[in-house]
Amino acid sequence: MIQNLLDGILTGAVISLGAIGLTMVMHMLRFANFAYAELLAIGAYAALVFDRVLAALAPALATAFKPLTVSASLALATLLAMAITGASAVVVDWLVFRRIRAKADALSMVFASFGVALIIRNAITLAFGHNAQLFSQDIAFATVLSTDPLILVKADQVFVLVAALALMAAFHIVLTRTSFGFALRAVAENPTLAQVAGVRLSTMIVAVWLIGGGLSAAAGVFYTLTNHLSPALGSNFLLPVFAATIVGGIGSVYGAVLGGFLVGVASGLSLAVLPSGYVPAMPFLIILAVLLLRPHGLFGEDQA
Amino acid sequence: MIGVISYLVFFATMAGILAIVVLGLNLQWGYTGLFNGGVAAFFGAGAYVTMLLGGRPEPGQFGGFLAPFPVAIVGGILFAGLIAWFFGVLTLRLRHDYLAIATFGVAIALESVARNAEWLTGGAKGLRGFPRPLEATITALGGGDNFLYGLFFLALVLAVLAAVYVGLERLTRSPYGRALRAIREDEAAARSLGKNPVRLRLESFVIGSMIMGAAGGLYVAFYAYVGPQDLAPILTFQVWAMLIVGGAGNNRGAVLGAFLIWAAWTASGFALAALAPQAMQLYTGPIQYILIGSVIVGMLLWRPQGILPEQIRQQGRN
Amino acid sequence: MKREISGIVAAAALAVLAQTGGAAAQACSVNVGVVYPTSIDWGKPIAATTLWVADMVNEAGGVDGCKVETTLRDDQNDAKVGVDAAKALVDISKVRLLIGTVASGITIPILTSVSVPAGTMQISCCSSTTRLTALAAEGATKGLWFRTFATSRVQGSVAAMAAKDAGYKKVAVFYKNDDWGQDLGKLAAAAFRASGIEVTAQIAISDGQPGYRAEVTQALAGKPDAVYLALYPKEGISVVREWLSLGGTNKMIGANSLKSDDFRNTVGVQHLANFIGTDTSTPRTDSAKGFVAAYTAKFGKPPAGPGLPNSFDATAIALLAYSAAGKDATGAQIAAKVPMVTDPKGEKANGDVEGFKKALGLLKQGKAVSFQGATGALVFDKNGDVSAPAVLWTFGANGIDEKRYIPLEDVEAFIAALK
Repeated sequence: MIQNLLDGILTGAVISLGAIGLTMVMHMLRFANFAYAELLAIGAYAALVFDRVLAALAPALATAFKPLTVSASLALATLLAMAITGASAVVVDWLVFRRIRAKADALSMVFASFGVALIIRNAITLAFGHNAQLFSQDIAFATVLSTDPLILVKADQVFVLVAALALMAAFHIVLTRTSFGFALRAVAENPTLAQVAGVRLSTMIVAVWLIGGGLSAAAGVFYTLTNHLSPALGSNFLLPVFAATIVGGIGSVYGAVLGGFLVGVASGLSLAVLPSGYVPAMPFLIILAVLLLRPHGLFGEDQA
Repeated sequence: MIGVISYLVFFATMAGILAIVVLGLNLQWGYTGLFNGGVAAFFGAGAYVTMLLGGRPEPGQFGGFLAPFPVAIVGGILFAGLIAWFFGVLTLRLRHDYLAIATFGVAIALESVARNAEWLTGGAKGLRGFPRPLEATITALGGGDNFLYGLFFLALVLAVLAAVYVGLERLTRSPYGRALRAIREDEAAARSLGKNPVRLRLESFVIGSMIMGAAGGLYVAFYAYVGPQDLAPILTFQVWAMLIVGGAGNNRGAVLGAFLIWAAWTASGFALAALAPQAMQLYTGPIQYILIGSVIVGMLLWRPQGILPEQIRQQGRN
Repeated sequence: MKREISGIVAAAALAVLAQTGGAAAQACSVNVGVVYPTSIDWGKPIAATTLWVADMVNEAGGVDGCKVETTLRDDQNDAKVGVDAAKALVDISKVRLLIGTVASGITIPILTSVSVPAGTMQISCCSSTTRLTALAAEGATKGLWFRTFATSRVQGSVAAMAAKDAGYKKVAVFYKNDDWGQDLGKLAAAAFRASGIEVTAQIAISDGQPGYRAEVTQALAGKPDAVYLALYPKEGISVVREWLSLGGTNKMIGANSLKSDDFRNTVGVQHLANFIGTDTSTPRTDSAKGFVAAYTAKFGKPPAGPGLPNSFDATAIALLAYSAAGKDATGAQIAAKVPMVTDPKGEKANGDVEGFKKALGLLKQGKAVSFQGATGALVFDKNGDVSAPAVLWTFGANGIDEKRYIPLEDVEAFIAALK
């Protein structure tokens, strides 16, 4: 039970990272982006490629910092992957969503994002195959914190949680302490008013995609570090990140963070209530509960 | 030649069933502007309930009541409508994303139930054994050959398709249809004219989902089998592609899109089997998905109105 | 009408295909339809094996002196696509023999709405569900259906046998959440219980989940002394790595689906020292070894995926039966000749070009053959199912090591003792 709770918090951190960008995109561009979760997969695969390349160029970088399985090359690769993923999010917006925004309504974008997700996922499958990939072939054994009840933690898990929280804290500082952060919040809260106040919407859209892409890439890498990587990574996270944004209230960054942890913990505990086969439906049940109890989420405003 | 005709009858039957689904989606999306991300759920709900009511009994398995086909399919239609009503009530007051995400989730949840609730749905191995309507009689008429029955079933599907088409045409051309378009275009204005947008949306969503449920019932009668794979998200995607390519807001476009995309989907299977080098065969699946994804996105970029655009007569605009 | 145009285009494409392939020694040809999920990682080698057998039969003289023309279609693991492909093969290419497919959600509708109505014989390497046995038992398959994949009953029972011999008292069961996994997981759990072994948990592993930590944690809670894995390599790798890293025992029993290099290498052979594999049907015949050698020579790596020997035998038996029935035979006539190919009293013929030559010659003279395939000398029962001897295997330093061979009689005796 406690073990499931701990694991849920860890998965929650990954979901939160993914949900931060999604909630901003959904609020600012006013559409449910079904392609968003693919950014996690793009990020993780990009990190995989950079990690292999760096390790080949400079084998010294490839030694893991024990007891972690993280190496210097992977850390560098993650930073590169965050940049690449942010850039690819901007490119997709520029190629597809921006053009559709100009022509049709937000709902056409929802469907376009369906198409984009399909293209990205299958392009990844073509390039890397269906099989599970790993950053490191070594099995990182967990440390036993307690035997009764059994509580196990892996060093990688602690690292991932700390790194995810650090990223969120950094983003919090940007949001609250910089003029860029003010502008971003202004746009998120009221795009029209912000434009009147002199914020350039197009610049902000690019910024949101960059931030969302970067955070998602980190989420994808963190996830892969303690699990495994397959082309389905993105689609697997789609419903959880959607659930997190809805729990938090669309448009609320802090709501998304909290929502991510809630969804993660609930999914972690789901086996206590549901037979194992029903686990994929857990985020849906959370969405259902929110819709029944508090339709605008924890921090969402009422806007029909 | 008879073989080719037999195949075409088969193809047209499947395309006709899909066209019914697309018509249901067209009412929701094309006329009312509702994003249904879980088409497969409503199709599957209709299919499973039709199977449970009308299927053959099997030991250890709930269902198999051998209800006459019309009764069974009506049960399926009502169940699809019930699910739609429940989620419609929950989400239609909120911004549009909620419906999209909730329906997407419904499909995943229903797939989980279909895969795991073995006593009810047969689990991953699905349910099979459905007495096709009038099969014995008509096969006997054809002298034991089942080609005649294939033709009969196609006629049945086309009759349902035609009924749905005519019904929707009348509905959408009526004042009711204009009210639906009005709330799609400008909700505030429609509200000021005394329309109740939430109720109209809910009705449109439920009717559309019931049409999808009917298609699911026909599908079960056609294959005599239903399993969790029939609830996979790919169906939702195929149906959306059909509507977008054919032309949202135009029922003829919806039907055209269904036949066109299904033909392209199956023909690409032929073409890849015939033309792609053996080594490429492993990649044909992903390539096909990438192509269809590109067609959708391309269509939205260059011709968002579809092949047959929506025709709005002057008095149709509010 | 669009659909007619597409149909004509498709027919033309098929005609082109038939012509381009026809420039071989044999003057005539027989069409054989193959439907497998070629766009799925483990589906592709299954299909490749089928095509390879067809090539060998052609080299040996072909079916009744005619060249075998295979048309391979992808079912995309989508019932609509698979059934449409089968229908096109039966109606347009006029195949009277259909080989496929894997997922029973596709095999069953193909069988009931395409093959049986058209009188086409259908044989599959890998559909495992008990539903198919039930269908055949009630006569819905009209004797046109065969599969070379022994039903999961044998494998589940042998797993219990292995657990009992190893002295395991408490076992947790992980099963892939599909038709095959649900079946096998349930049968194995029942067999464990019947042998007096406690089943601490039966946990479904759903396809492509982000991770399986919660599932593994759940299984750990019961403190089992061994785990049983009815999984494919893809989920198997994730589950086993998670299991080991959280301190789970390395005492594992796995189904034949895990007989894979990918599984062995990604988990790490050092962690698999106490892994016992079960397999239904790798008898101690030269033909089984011959298959491994021939496959390795052909594809450059040993056959280490699920269903490959089964695919080999399904195709070989079906083509030999086709030849015995003659090039103009109907599906029912081909199906009727299957016993002649798998007659235990018949003369033995191996699954290589020489063996096919021999078998084709004997069949032509009207003599029965006992085909010694990759899974040994199969015999189909009245429902088109095979029973097979069992084997326990382990991951050795250089590949798969056979640990213990359990003849068919012993398996049956063990199953009987469980009841």
